[in-house]
Amino acid sequence: MDLQIKNLLKTFDGFVALDRITLSVEEREFVCLLGPSGCGKTTLLRIIAGLMPYDGGELLMGGRDLGTVPARDRGFGIVFQSYSLFPNMTVAQNIGYGLKIRKAPRDRIAARVGELLDLIKLPKAADRYPWQLSGGQQQRVALARALAVDPSLILLDEPLSALDARVRADLRAEIRDVQRRLGIPTIMVTHDQEEALTLADKVVCMNHGLIEQVGTPQDLYLRPRTRFVADFMGSSNLLPTAWVRETMPHLMPGRPDGAENAFEACVRPERIAVTPAPDAEGRVIDLTFLGNIRRLRLSWRGRELLAETNRDPGVEPGAAVDVSVAADACAWVRA
Amino acid sequence: MTAPALALTDKARPRRASRPLDERLLFGACVLVPVVALVLFFLLPLATIVWRSFTEESGGIGVANYLALFRTPGILRAVGNSLLVGTATTAVCLVLGFAVAYAAQRTRVPGKRFVAAALSLPLLAPSLVLGLGLIFLLGRNGLVSNLLGVRLNIYGFPGLLIANVLYALPQAVLIIQAALRQSDARYYDAAEVMGATRLQQFLGITLPNVKFGLLSAGFVVFTVTITDFGNAVTIGGDFSVLATEIYNQVTGQMKFGIGAAVGILLLLPTGIAVYIERVAAQRQFGTASESALPPVPDRLPMRDIPLFLVTMTLALSITAVVATVVFASVVRLWPYRLDFTTKHYSITLSGGYDPLWTSLGVSAATAGIGTVLLFALVLGLRRMPPGLAKAVYLLAVLPVGVPGLVLGLSYIFAFNLAGTPLHMLYGTALLLALCNFYHYHTQGFLTMVTGMRAVPAALEEAAGCLGGGVLRVLGDVVVPVMIPTLLSVFFFLFMRSMVTLSAIIFLVSPSTNLAAVTVMRLDEAGFVSQAAAFSTCIMAAVAAAALAMRGALALAGRRKAV
Repeated sequence: MDLQIKNLLKTFDGFVALDRITLSVEEREFVCLLGPSGCGKTTLLRIIAGLMPYDGGELLMGGRDLGTVPARDRGFGIVFQSYSLFPNMTVAQNIGYGLKIRKAPRDRIAARVGELLDLIKLPKAADRYPWQLSGGQQQRVALARALAVDPSLILLDEPLSALDARVRADLRAEIRDVQRRLGIPTIMVTHDQEEALTLADKVVCMNHGLIEQVGTPQDLYLRPRTRFVADFMGSSNLLPTAWVRETMPHLMPGRPDGAENAFEACVRPERIAVTPAPDAEGRVIDLTFLGNIRRLRLSWRGRELLAETNRDPGVEPGAAVDVSVAADACAWVRA
Repeated sequence: MTAPALALTDKARPRRASRPLDERLLFGACVLVPVVALVLFFLLPLATIVWRSFTEESGGIGVANYLALFRTPGILRAVGNSLLVGTATTAVCLVLGFAVAYAAQRTRVPGKRFVAAALSLPLLAPSLVLGLGLIFLLGRNGLVSNLLGVRLNIYGFPGLLIANVLYALPQAVLIIQAALRQSDARYYDAAEVMGATRLQQFLGITLPNVKFGLLSAGFVVFTVTITDFGNAVTIGGDFSVLATEIYNQVTGQMKFGIGAAVGILLLLPTGIAVYIERVAAQRQFGTASESALPPVPDRLPMRDIPLFLVTMTLALSITAVVATVVFASVVRLWPYRLDFTTKHYSITLSGGYDPLWTSLGVSAATAGIGTVLLFALVLGLRRMPPGLAKAVYLLAVLPVGVPGLVLGLSYIFAFNLAGTPLHMLYGTALLLALCNFYHYHTQGFLTMVTGMRAVPAALEEAAGCLGGGVLRVLGDVVVPVMIPTLLSVFFFLFMRSMVTLSAIIFLVSPSTNLAAVTVMRLDEAGFVSQAAAFSTCIMAAVAAAALAMRGALALAGRRKAV
């Protein structure tokens, strides 16, 4: 089933939290709502879940209007950042809770719980209590609990934010794997662009209650359409039109028509090629070693540029370097 | 194999020595004085009562005192009655307490402030004030009997049950409300999305998660009820209970062995309550998450209207009972002649208002000594090796497990022994103050510990590194942050000390009579209006202290903000 959101409006005491959002989530699709805190992404998720009313627009699941359907009848699954496992229930009781509510027979619940415990690779945890599990394990159980009732849509509210880096990477891969296998449409809220890039089929980048851009991870990274998206999806050099016209005229043909200040050129640091040359006009200001890459700050034709390379550029701070940018390395964004 | 150990101590020694001697002496004394006092005025009496319970009349060691309990008919009946009234009070308090706590914590039922204020009234007064008020309202010569022209009989089980419920309810509400506060809105969101109805959420999540709170509240209520003295004397009538029976056995018939044995048995329910609380704390420690969002109170008429009626009825009842006492103290002859008079305020019992002044003095001493000792203890505890600190901590929270009745009894055994140096304390106001302090030691200590947690260790170290001496750091860093806590502990001890009856009833002497005891004596002698007047004076003093505390806290808060 697919989810259609049309002109969804939500206000809090006059403050517009969601400004006529239109969005679709297709069957089997993994959609990430990405944005800084306060951008409305969690509000949108809670409205989809049915935990919050909305003020205008439409919410359709497989063509059925969800407007009058209470959360408990929507048949979705939800996972929160804070795990939120019921502390009074064992792992098995937590996972089986939704089925118990639906009055499923006891042996069917037990079978389903066993199946899900295998799926989340915690086959022996059935009788443990949440406080006896690590954060990563708790979040796996929360995922199993959401999956137990064969939800038509899975909602993930920053499910990885509370975990440490290593566990986060593992669980990210697992979520991806499970979602692919089961093919349940999934919406995840996150403020971590790396998470969105690696997990999503479709990224929805939000800011101030508006959708800035919707697209594949590649789209958003390589062809951001606004300054906000360019900034949010990793570091970039944002260059004013006048300067580009003067110093890199070969980038100009891609520029959309518009006022001088309406657009800026976005060039990712790894697309700036740096070559040492004794009498070149660029200068290396400093150089940072980050393991897999090296980051250089350059001064070139009156501007400071950020460049990244995964090879040793063979330069020291103060060295003279040539700077070049390929014609296809630039995306023009709305300022 | 000893070489590494030796190296280790060698390494540690110079580090210890690097602390200045005066500092070590100061913090040593900080811990030593309160701990010695705890041993002398808490552990020693407790050990004595244990010892006495196993000392037979013949002088031998054995369980004869415990066996004698079963052969003393008065005791057996009292135990049965106490269990009956204790169980009934507990059941009623849990149901009503849950309703009030739930209404306050999870709904938007109106009038929450009024309910909270009404529920704090019983804490401002000696327990018997509630018994007194009930008699004024429902007694043989009470308002209702008079209006309806029937003679209600409130004395005995029904009166005692109502008085105990009104007295213990606020404590139950506090505990259950704290348990209800420990939750996460996400539990309910998750359950909602999983398809659970409100009722299913309540039965599946809310109730199981306050299980320990309810258990703990149940044991506290049960203990408070079976060890409470004031209501049993005032409204119990012929319905003899353990607290009054033990008092008769010990002070009337001098049967100390039996008294000691009953005292030991009374340690059981509180012991269990304390244990449950610890288990609950551990369980909850595992689930408490920093990012937990408190559940948002909502509106639901089907639930809120009955809840509103129940909580309001309770709050109004408590207010009515307490207000009746005040009102009855200023009318000529309650409830027949309601013209205003202050004649009941001239107390005819020997001593007049002396006991009130003694009470104020004893309470001030309790609060002063207690605050200083607790502050020193908590201060020193911070700098102790963790193992030792844990042992001292355990000792400091132990008094909560000992009901006032048992503590009072144990003081008789420990201090009424001629020929020991401690005997000279017996019968003095100082001993009363100490008894009250150790009665409420745990609550004061825990407040102090929580307050001390707010003093960042880094701040102290920073001040130290800047060259401030110990006293400087104390004065400039620790005390300013601790002022609200010190005030809270001081006034808490003062107010409890003003109203408690169960411990000191065994220790008062004619020269050191206390206010709460005087109310009891006046009531016993039939001067009910004077008892009401005296109660009103106590309540006024405690209410003034409560106001003074609020004022002082507000002042301290403002000074901090500037």
